[in-house]
Formats: sequence, structure tokens, C-alpha cells
Amino acid sequence: MKPALDRIQSEAEDAVRGGCEHIMLTDMAADASRMPIPMILATGAVHSHLVRQQLRTFASVNVQSGECLDVHHFAVLVGVGATTVNAYLAEWTIAERMEKGLLEGLNMPQAVANYKKAIEDGLLKIMAKMGISVIASYRGGYNFEALGLSRSLVAHYFPPMSSRISGLGLNGIEQRLREMHDKAFGGEATLLPVGGLLRYRKSGERHAFDGQMIHAMQHACDTGSFDSWKKYVSIIERQGPVNLRDLLDFKSGGEAVRVEDVESITEIRKRLVSPGISLGALSPEAHETLSIAMNRIGAKSDSGEGGEDPERFSLRENGDNPSSAIKQVASGRFGVTAEYLNNCQELEIKVAQGAKPGEGGQLPGIKVNSIIAKLRHSTPGVTLISPPPHHDIYSIEDLAQLIYDLKQINPEARVCVKLVASTGIGTIAAGVAKAKADTILISGHGGGTGASPQSSIKHAGMPWEIGLSEVHQVLSMNDLRDKVVLRTDGGLKTGRDIVVAAMLGADEYGIGTAALVAMGCIMVRQCHSNTCPVGVCTQRDDLRAKFEGTPEKVVQLFTHVAEEVREILASLGFTSLQEVIGRTDLLSQVSRGDAALDDLDLNPILVQAITDGQRGGDIKAPRVEVPDTLDAQIVKDAESALETGGKMQLSYNIENTQRAIGTRLSSHIVRKFGMTGLSEAQINVRLRGPAGQSLGAFAVQGLRLDVIGDANDYVGKGLSGGMITVRPSNSAGFVAAQNTIIGNTVLYGATAGKLFAAGQAGERLCVRNSGATAIVEGCGSNGCEYMTGGETIILGEVGSNFGAGMTGGMAFIYDEAGTFMDNVNPETLLITRVTTDYWAKHLEGMIETHVAETDSALGKKLLNQWSKVVGHFWHVVPKEVLETLPHPLADDVDLRDAS
Amino acid sequence: MSSKMLQFVKTEKQMPEKRTAAERAKDFDEIYADFSKAKAEEQASRCSQCGVPFCQVNCPLHNNIPDWLMLTAENRMQEAYEVSAATNNMPEICGRICPQDRLCEGNCVIEKGFESVTIGAVEKHITETAFENGWVKPAAPAIEREQSVGVIGAGPAGMAAADMLRRRGYQVTIYDRYDRAGGLLIYGIPGFKLEKDIVERRARLLADGGITFKLNCNIGTDISFAEIREQHDAVLIATGVYKARDIDLPGAELDGVVPALSYLTASNRKSLGDEVAEFDNGMLDAKGKNIVVIGGGDTAMDCVRTAIRQEANSVTCLYRRNKANMPGSQREVANAEEEGVDFQWLSAPQEFTGSDKVEAVLAQRIHLGQPDETGRQVPQIIEDSTYELKADLVIKALGFDPEDLPTMFNEPALRVSKWGTVAIDWKSMMTDLPGVFAAGDIVRGASLVVWGVRDGRDAAERIDAYIQAELRGETKAAG
Repeated sequence: MKPALDRIQSEAEDAVRGGCEHIMLTDMAADASRMPIPMILATGAVHSHLVRQQLRTFASVNVQSGECLDVHHFAVLVGVGATTVNAYLAEWTIAERMEKGLLEGLNMPQAVANYKKAIEDGLLKIMAKMGISVIASYRGGYNFEALGLSRSLVAHYFPPMSSRISGLGLNGIEQRLREMHDKAFGGEATLLPVGGLLRYRKSGERHAFDGQMIHAMQHACDTGSFDSWKKYVSIIERQGPVNLRDLLDFKSGGEAVRVEDVESITEIRKRLVSPGISLGALSPEAHETLSIAMNRIGAKSDSGEGGEDPERFSLRENGDNPSSAIKQVASGRFGVTAEYLNNCQELEIKVAQGAKPGEGGQLPGIKVNSIIAKLRHSTPGVTLISPPPHHDIYSIEDLAQLIYDLKQINPEARVCVKLVASTGIGTIAAGVAKAKADTILISGHGGGTGASPQSSIKHAGMPWEIGLSEVHQVLSMNDLRDKVVLRTDGGLKTGRDIVVAAMLGADEYGIGTAALVAMGCIMVRQCHSNTCPVGVCTQRDDLRAKFEGTPEKVVQLFTHVAEEVREILASLGFTSLQEVIGRTDLLSQVSRGDAALDDLDLNPILVQAITDGQRGGDIKAPRVEVPDTLDAQIVKDAESALETGGKMQLSYNIENTQRAIGTRLSSHIVRKFGMTGLSEAQINVRLRGPAGQSLGAFAVQGLRLDVIGDANDYVGKGLSGGMITVRPSNSAGFVAAQNTIIGNTVLYGATAGKLFAAGQAGERLCVRNSGATAIVEGCGSNGCEYMTGGETIILGEVGSNFGAGMTGGMAFIYDEAGTFMDNVNPETLLITRVTTDYWAKHLEGMIETHVAETDSALGKKLLNQWSKVVGHFWHVVPKEVLETLPHPLADDVDLRDAS
Repeated sequence: MSSKMLQFVKTEKQMPEKRTAAERAKDFDEIYADFSKAKAEEQASRCSQCGVPFCQVNCPLHNNIPDWLMLTAENRMQEAYEVSAATNNMPEICGRICPQDRLCEGNCVIEKGFESVTIGAVEKHITETAFENGWVKPAAPAIEREQSVGVIGAGPAGMAAADMLRRRGYQVTIYDRYDRAGGLLIYGIPGFKLEKDIVERRARLLADGGITFKLNCNIGTDISFAEIREQHDAVLIATGVYKARDIDLPGAELDGVVPALSYLTASNRKSLGDEVAEFDNGMLDAKGKNIVVIGGGDTAMDCVRTAIRQEANSVTCLYRRNKANMPGSQREVANAEEEGVDFQWLSAPQEFTGSDKVEAVLAQRIHLGQPDETGRQVPQIIEDSTYELKADLVIKALGFDPEDLPTMFNEPALRVSKWGTVAIDWKSMMTDLPGVFAAGDIVRGASLVVWGVRDGRDAAERIDAYIQAELRGETKAAG
């Protein structure tokens, strides 16, 4: 194949030097005597060669490929340099379906256009995950990581791509190609195989969990028989390699010790975690069963991102604790209230998900019933898509800020940051450690429910073995390893997996999918369809009734895992897991009877960064503390109010280095009085000067922060019922309404409360607001994005992309200049003028309150000429909530029908 | 993909219409109607399209069940047939007689609470639709090979192996001692489960595809085993197991105590229009008689239900364990109960009485004791519980054992296990004799048709590999 690639490269070069402007690569001439070169390889070869010759910009590289069928293939072709792609076989397949009459009501051009649209939408999604918005930036960008391709091949044909695990080279590729070619042309014409990539088929691809394993494991967890568990483990061993760790084995060497001398099951189980799977994805029964089970064994369950019913924060009659020990803070911030954040031992910031990096959580509308909607502060039946990024994290400093905020709202909880495995993650993890995270979770691609998009399950994410080893190495080299606890998850399902993970550097281990299986999951993988026949991943009442999981079964799973860990440790001569953490020297690569696998070079994950000193973190260590804020003083001063709930008025001068003011105080209030125990503004804190970041983050009802001055970013982040007013001082020499008085990302993820600002807000105002009311006098771009509840009134201009993905709540915008319609993203919205008395009165009343709270000059002006200005207001309501409005938007026509 | 599927949450399970027990008793026709097209589509759409389809996992043939269910629901019947036929050489037969309640349907994940998808009935519908539309074609190998394979036995294993080998271009001859192809499919299984023209249609397809049938051919008498080996590059022994397991009780030698297979064969032959002396003289005809069938397997169910159709006076089934422990398909037991069979659970025969022919069975009650190492409870006789059942015909349906093949074939080197089954190397499926393979019941002991088909297919693959290796000169001693 090398000569053929050389030839194609030189032909391309000659052609471009000869003035050719378009190069076409095609595999259409493949036949019984000619094998096609994989188009990705050919494209990469031509693109990289032309780049080296400084000729690439003189010609386009167009490919015509029979291999290319799905979005991923298109993305890779473009990513390695293709200018255009023609998937002719895909088109022929469409034509064949057309002939068979399977595409009723479509003609061929329409059908192909639909296919093209699907591919383009998919490409947009893939590019968006990388933060790229135009195809030209994606083309030739090599935004991929190779797994198991020879390093020299990658360096030659796909120069900037990384390939941490080197392996298959041109010869290996050619051999595989030859096998496929022989199959296609050599034998009798047979039916196309049914495959088995996405759903298990006996004749198809191997899957990490097969039927036999599921039954064996469930049997072991139902009966508690450790012999049955060992049968399950032996089925996995017999199955053949699936994961990188299957190519590793323990080195025998040390003298075995007695199993009785190894640390107890109880000690080992404390290191186990059931990772974040949201209530919403899981049925309430399944979610709660996991929590109860993990609490019983002193291990931790993770709430996932969907919030949790406050009813679960207190013990059950039988003493069971149904509250998740870890509460997740994800980009959607669903149900992230001060109360939620105060009922846990650990807070986890989910930066990304192992199974679908670059994407937020997604809960289809059919699963959003009234319970789920209540917990998430959203509308039943409306699909919930969490934004890919956290809108308050655009840098490591932002992450440090969120960690700081969380450590303020909960004075004890450790903070964990969840990252996904990929090459280069070590640097990020070092940053996270320096940002004062206590735990770093490295999530591999093996996890995730069947609800994740199929293209992500198959083509995004990396094995945790790669991410974990790099993080452990980088942290060790930078003297940071003992500052954090490392946790890993993604398909762990045996004690052996745990020991391998320990040797690769992990202190704690997440077992998710296996825990679901123990509760009855049988991998139907219809988690997104709400039809789970065993009641694990559904919200339908009749299906939830089928749930047969119990805490006992889950406890049994973790007990079996721990017991298996003990046996392995004993056989290797160790008495605790701590002793083997980071001991990659105890692992060696083994042959599993496949030449291609033998070619893989696993040394990069087995390298020992340091050979002495501390190897792992300390899971019992206290959390890394952050400096106090002004609240230390406020809490002291408010002692009597916190004692009795009495009214209090406090006053301080502030500087913008004082961050998260009001947050720790809110923690005290919520712990003492709950979310609604105090009435509004019972503790009134007046602040003079510029407030630092995260003013009033997670502030609760009873607290009012009254700022005379201005405030930085993240005002009212996660606002949970508190009230914040910001206005310039009387001596300020500017017109308040024309100046930004509060920074970016205000009220992000707010669930309740009020904000009045006599001045403009920055970018991303009220993103993911689900219940707070805000009145500001103008805002930057992306205002009210993904909003699911609450009310936003803007008495001035808005930036671009206003209201994108807004599915709940409402907004009023005063549009004197007539620019609003150019800036709104109307996809999900109905936009009308305020024509009814009901809404005009409501709006007027709100502005009156704004004036009362902030003395706003603009507010006063508007009220003075109310009848004149009310016609300049727009009323923005998401179509999906029209039916739930207390009053129609127009008196004569019922616009609710417009939905 | 699943827009049309996953309907189990809304749509209830429905089997094809079943004729009433009274109607059924009048003839030997199948008791289930075929699905209508709409019904098949509706029922197929109930499939949950599982990530791990336990129906396939538990199907000996690993049929791609979710795929052809989806294709059926989408009215893509020809594709459904092609997918179905790709893994099964006789889907129309498996669809009818497989004990789905123990295999695919019994493991259907929606079974719990929703009742399974009607997999067997849809499978039958697919293949019947394919036959109606002429989509079922005889083998048409792309290349003809010179090498030939002799297959001994025209039952499910032999037919499946022959079909697969023929498709690969081998010259195939099937030898069978009966006058019709099909083995137990033709003479063992009664028409109310599997109508005989279905079996004949399948055998005809094989013949049309170029497979030679040598019927009425007893190995060892009509042709020697050595000759067969001589004539072919490889030989497959797929004779099945035919020796009826006997019962060592007083009176067992009396007239009117007969093995199940003799009884069933006579009945099937009559249905096919043959003259059968033993039936015509009344010996194997249940009409007007009191019938006692001993055993609880599928063969016993076939016997009792045949007797009902022959207008027996009474039909009683004696089984020493209880209903839950019956080895046969629960669905067949239910059908038999509907048709009026008297089941005497937890009962074992003690003695057959009568002067020259059997007149009664003395039976004892049984108590199920502690489970043995296999986990099944051991039946224990309850003292002084003897009771009498009137019987004019006693049918022994206690299972089958292998015949003595080394002797019959006059080939002492053919190694057999202690149970008499032919010993093979599990990987190559070859016996100790080079080039001689074995598959089906004669290897695994009496089992299901679907296992026979599976073994036949596996054997075909091994035989192909063996012959190709021979041709390349990679001869190696038999393992």
C-alpha cells in the first residue's frame, strides 16, 4: 500500500504544480482484482503531502467514497483534509430503498436532500462539540485522537493527530483490508451481515456486556453467592479482549498473603462510588435504591444532574438514608439549589461526560413527567438539553471560582471535578488540582446509558486507562498527586478492573452500569424511549412498577467486587489497596492471541512518573480549604438573626476582591431555617462599593443584598430565593441605564429569587434561569438562553441570539430603538406586543417594584409616560408553555392556539 | 429505526387464532391459523429492539430475531425472509414446532409483565409469505465442486448440513432408511403440530437444489458404511436416536404396551395415506380405547394428543414429577389439557396387568424429595398409594437412546460414549475416523429440532474446512 500512497501523493503534487485546481480521489474502481485504499488514509496522505509542499491552498481535495455512510465518517474525511465528500454508496442505498418503496412520499432528490441535511446537522453537532462553528476551521484540523494506530503512520499521514497507544501500521491495515476484500469478492454472494455494532448480535461485534454476563452477575447479586460471582468473572475472562485493561495482567512476584490479612470488605467498599446518573434518566425507585445501598455501606452515590427531591434529605423510618452523598453540579444546573448543595458530603462539577464529551445531558420530553419537571424547575413534556459548557466556566480561573462558590455554600463538602479521558488531560487536571478541587474524576468512554447519542457512544471519548494514567503521571511529576483524590469510572465491573485502576493511579472507583445491571437492567438500551421493561430507566408508572431492584442486590454487587479485590491483593502479596495505587510496575502487557493487539504499545500508560514518595491521594483527608470571604464577618454580625430568625440590617464597604458575598450566610440560613423559613429581606445587607465575583451566589430567601456600586460576573449564580439589588451611587457621574452595572453570566442556573439592577447586565444574562425574576436595563448577547422558568424584564437593548433554546418562563423587552427582532433567536418563541390589560398591568407593577428597589431613573421615566411606551415592549414566551399561562397574550384572539 | 417498534407498552400480545379443542380433535391439521399480514406486522412491532436481545442469545441458531421482527413490522417481508433464512434452513418448521416458551419467547425481556413477542408465529408467517411469493429458492451454488459428502439421516441435522454444503457447491447425497425424507419431522411429529406437506416441501427444495436422496437405504445392509466412506470425501452421521427407552416392570412384555415412536409413526403414515397393517388391525389405533401414556416430555404430549384425535375412550398421562417440572413445552401441555387429556402428575407405573394383552396399569403416587446435585427434586414413592388405571393401550414415551451404531455400521472403530452417542472432537466435529463427522441427536442425545439444525450447520462448516484443508494438502491426524 505504501507505493500506492506514494504514487497518489506524487500524482496529486504533479497535478497541482501543473495548474490543476480540483483533485478527485475515488474508490469507485474497486473490483475483484483491485482493493480500495481506505479513503481516510488516502485523503490524509494527499492533504498532508500538499501541505508539506505548500500547495494545499491551490487546489481542492474532493473524495468519492463507498465507505463513507455515517456522520462520523464524513467528519473524519473533512477533518483530515477533504474539501468535498461524495458518499455514492450511501446514495445508491437510498435509491435501492426508493425502489423497494420504503420511502413513501419522497422522490430521489428529496430523499438525498434529507440525507444531506442529516449529515450536515450531524457535522454541525460534531463541530460544535469542539467549539468550531465553520467547516473551513474544521477541515484539515485533525481534531481526532487515534487509538491503536502506529505512531509513525500517524506522524506521516495525519501529522498533528495524537496516538498515545501506538499499534496498527500500513501492513496491518492492508491485511485487514485484504480479508474484507476476500470476503466481498471471494466467496458465494451472501446476504449483507446484520452487524452488531450498536446492538448485540451473536454474529456481530463483541460487546462489553453480553447476555450470559448479565444473567450471571444478576444471579450472583440476587443470591449473594461469591462462587456465582466468580463464574461471572470467568465469563468475562473467557470473552476475549474488549478494553485496554484486558491486555494487562498482574505480575506475579511477591509472596501471596492470606486473604484474612487483607483490609476488610468494608474498607474497600468505601472507595467505591456509584457515578452520576440523573433522576430523570433513572426512575425514582432505581435512583433512590442506589443511594440507599451506597449509604448503607458508607460509600457514595452521585445524584447526577437532575436535582433530588428534598424529601430524600431526611432519613427513612427504617433508618435508611436516601440522600445521594455526592450532589452533581452540571451545566444545566437543574434543581441546583442552596438546599440541594447543603445536603451532601461532596459536590461534583461535571465538566463533561465520558460517554459523550462535548455534549450536555439530554432528557427527552417523554421522560419529563410532573415529578421530574418539578425537581428540575421545568415544564412537563419539554425536552431538557443541558448546554455543552458551563456558562460560568470558560477558563480554569472560572472553574476555580465555581469551586470557591461551592465551598462557600457548603462549608464541609469536598469538591470533585469530573473530566473525561483524552490525551492532554494531564495538564487540565493539574490546573484543576491548583484550582483547589479535592477530587478529580477521570471518566472513560465505557459508561453512559443507552440514551447517549449513538455516534457519541461509538466515536467520542477515550478509555479511562489512557486518561487516568496521564493524569496520575502529570500530577506526580508536579508534586500535586497527594493534594487530590483520583477517581475513575467508565465500564468498571469486576474487582480485577478495580485493582488495575488502582495500579494506574486511581484512589476511588465508580461502578455505574454494573450497578444498574445488579438492579435489573438487562441492556435493552432504549433508555431514551421511556419503555424500559424493567423499570430502571423509565418514568412511566406501569413500567416503574416492574422495578425489582433492591438495596440488598446493589450492596451485594459492591461486596462481591470488594471481596474479589481482596483475593487479588492477597494473591499479589498486598494487604490494602493503598499499597498498590500507582504501582504500574505490577502490570505487564500480555498477548491475547491477536497479532494486531500484540502490536499495541501500552508502555505510555505503564510509565512510572516517580518511583518514590507518595503515590496516591488520601481519601480520608480533610478538604482543601479556600480563604474566607466577607461572610465570615457577616455571619458573626448576624449571629442573633441566625439564632432567632429576627430582622437584621447590616452594612459594609466592599472591594471587588471580596467574592461570593452572601453565600456562606445563605448556607447558615438554609441549614437553620430551610429554603423558605425566613421571609423576604429579613436579613438586609447593604454593601457599598464594587462587589467581586459571584455576588449572592446561591443566596436564599430571607437574605437581601443591596449593593450601591456595581458587581462583577456571576451575580446571583444559582440564586435560590434571595434578593439582590444593584444600583450606582448617587455620586456616579454616568447615566445608569447606559452602562453595565453587573457583569457576565448573571443569574446562571437561578431557581428562585429576585434581581433588580439599575443598569445594564453583561453577556449571558439569565442563562438556564428556571425561576428567578430579573429586571435590568439592557444586556449583552445570549440573554435568556436555555431559560426554563422565571421572568426577565429588560428595559433596554439586548445583544444577539436572545432567547436561544428558551423553553420556559417569559421575558419583556423594552425596544425603543426597534432592534430587538434582529437580535432574537425566535426558534422556540412566540413574540408579541403587550396588548392586554392583564399583561400591561403586570409589567407596570414589576417596573414599579424595580423603581422602589433601585430608584431607577429609567424606570421612573417609563412609568411617567406609560401609555406611550407600553407599545414598545415585546412579550417573549416559549411556544411550549403558552397553554400554562395565567392569561392569554391577546384578548381578541387566543394566541395559545398558535402553538 | 424504532419508530414503528417498541409497541409492547400499548399493544397486547395476541397469538394467531387457535381452533377450539373440539374442532381440533376431529383432524390432524395444525391448530394455529397463520397470522394475517396486519396482525403479523402489529405483533412484530411489539419488539423492544433490545441492546442485548435475549431471544437471540437463547436461540440455538442465534436467529437475528429483532431484525426480522422489525422488517416484518415495516412490511419488508422479502428482506425479513432473507434475514431469517440466512441463519435457519427451515424457519417455517422451527416457527411451528420450536418450544419458543423455553427459548426465544421465554427469554423475551418484555415477557415479564407484558408477555413475550409472538416470535414463532411471526417466523412462520414470514416463511409462508416467502413461499407464497416464490422467494424461497432451491440452492443455486455459484460454483460446482467435485468433492462430495454423504449424509446419513434425512432429519433436521442431516438436511441442514446437506443444504449448507450444497450451497457451497459440494455434491451431496443423503441416505435414509425410511421411505420419506424428514426423519422425526415426517414420522415422529404429528400433523397437528407440523403438517406433513410442510416437511415434504422442504425436502423437495433440497432435491431441487441438486441434493440426491437415497431413501429406503439401511446402512450396513443395503450399503455398507465402508462403501459410503469410499464414495465420498466426507461423511456426516446424523441418524438421530431411535431406540426407545424401555421400562422394566412386571407386565411390560404384554401386548398393547408399545413404544411411542411405533405409535406415532403409524398415525403419521396413515395421515400420509399409507397402508399400515398394525394400525388397520387395530393394534396401534386408539379409537374407543383407554389409553395410558407414560412420560412427560414432548413425545408424550404428541402421543396423548394423537390419541384424542383417534377418538380414544380416555387418555391418561402418567408423569412422576409435577407439572412445573415437566421437561416438555408448557404450551403443549396446555394444549393437551384443553383437548381433554387426564394428567396424573406425581404418578409412576408399578405394574402392567392383563391376561394376554394389557388391561390395566397399577400406579403409585410420588412425593418430590430433596433436590439432587442437578437441582431437581428426586421423586420418592409414597408407600401404599397404589391405584389402578384401566388401559387397553399403554404407550411408553420415556425418551430415546442411540442405537448401537458401531455394530449396525459394522465399524467397530467408530467410538461411542458410555451413553452410546457418537464421540466427536468438539472443535472439528469429527469422529475418530478421519473424514467422518457426526451431528445432531446421535451426538448430543435426544434433543430439539432446532439443535439438530444448528449442529447440521456447524458440521457443514467443519466439513467444508476439512475438505478444503485436505485439498491444500494440510492433512492432519484426526484429533
